[in-house]
Amino acid sequence: MKLKGAKAVHYESGPNMTPLVDVVMVILIFLMLTGSFGGQEHYLISNVPTSKGGVGSSSAEIKDEVALEIRVDSPTPDRFVATAGRIQADSMEKLTTQLKAMKAQFNKEGTTDDKIQVKISPGRNVKYRFLVLCYEAALRAELPRVGFATGR
Amino acid sequence: MAKRHIPAAHGSHPNVTPLIDVVMVLIVFFMLVAKIGVNTGADEKIIIPKTVMGIDIKDLGNTLVLNVRQGQIDQPYITALVKGTPTELKVFDPTTKRNQLVETLKYFRNGDKVAGIAANPDFKVIIRGDESMEYRFLEPVLLACAEAQVKEWAFNTGKVEVEVP
Repeated sequence: MKLKGAKAVHYESGPNMTPLVDVVMVILIFLMLTGSFGGQEHYLISNVPTSKGGVGSSSAEIKDEVALEIRVDSPTPDRFVATAGRIQADSMEKLTTQLKAMKAQFNKEGTTDDKIQVKISPGRNVKYRFLVLCYEAALRAELPRVGFATGR
Repeated sequence: MAKRHIPAAHGSHPNVTPLIDVVMVLIVFFMLVAKIGVNTGADEKIIIPKTVMGIDIKDLGNTLVLNVRQGQIDQPYITALVKGTPTELKVFDPTTKRNQLVETLKYFRNGDKVAGIAANPDFKVIIRGDESMEYRFLEPVLLACAEAQVKEWAFNTGKVEVEVP
């Protein structure tokens, strides 16, 4: 039997793109599944050297440097208390507010931000996540130089 | 004027050219953005703390990722990708009495003259610590960085999604 419109359907419109589309789709799916974009993580960077002897023993040579020590303790495993001079805070928000006030006071007295060195001095049993919160509080207060003091 | 008709074949086959265009653009995008086969040695099983602030490090070429967990007594359990192999770095090895962590950091920082590896003053350490770890386990790592004269170190943290009011 002869099909009526068979010749009309077979139209030469260029190269067959189907294998190309197949391969390209496979590559696309592979890239989508295997690729990691690293968008879920970031970094808190410090270039202030860690000092063994606490505040004032830094090897950084900056003239007229002002040290700001934040002592962090953990009275119970699920909370922390940060003390810096007269201020005391048990959350990142409170610590940020108080550090901002301290920074404003330092600035008023003529100390620029780059001369304020924040040193977080934690107790041995303080959880890492609390230290990161204190670190973040200092960064949120726009204090650029944050480091750690050890040996408590 | 004679009318031009579209051949019948055009009606039966969809035009795949726009599809190929879009897919090609997507492939190029994924090839440029995705990090495929980049192994920094980061242990994904570690639950890292989350922060709102933080910056992205684009170039991880000069860095060593230290996975830090709570170990036994006061010893942290540290692993890192050293010479392409995941390696445990002990702060104090009781058999050799050596600090493997400091030695490794010094190797990356100061190089190895015998092996012909140059010093790298821009060497950075990324600390990927378990959020529930106590500071006494992190302290030796920071001291080791200081001893090896590592100029810069960073805490690897997760991003907190900030809700826009």
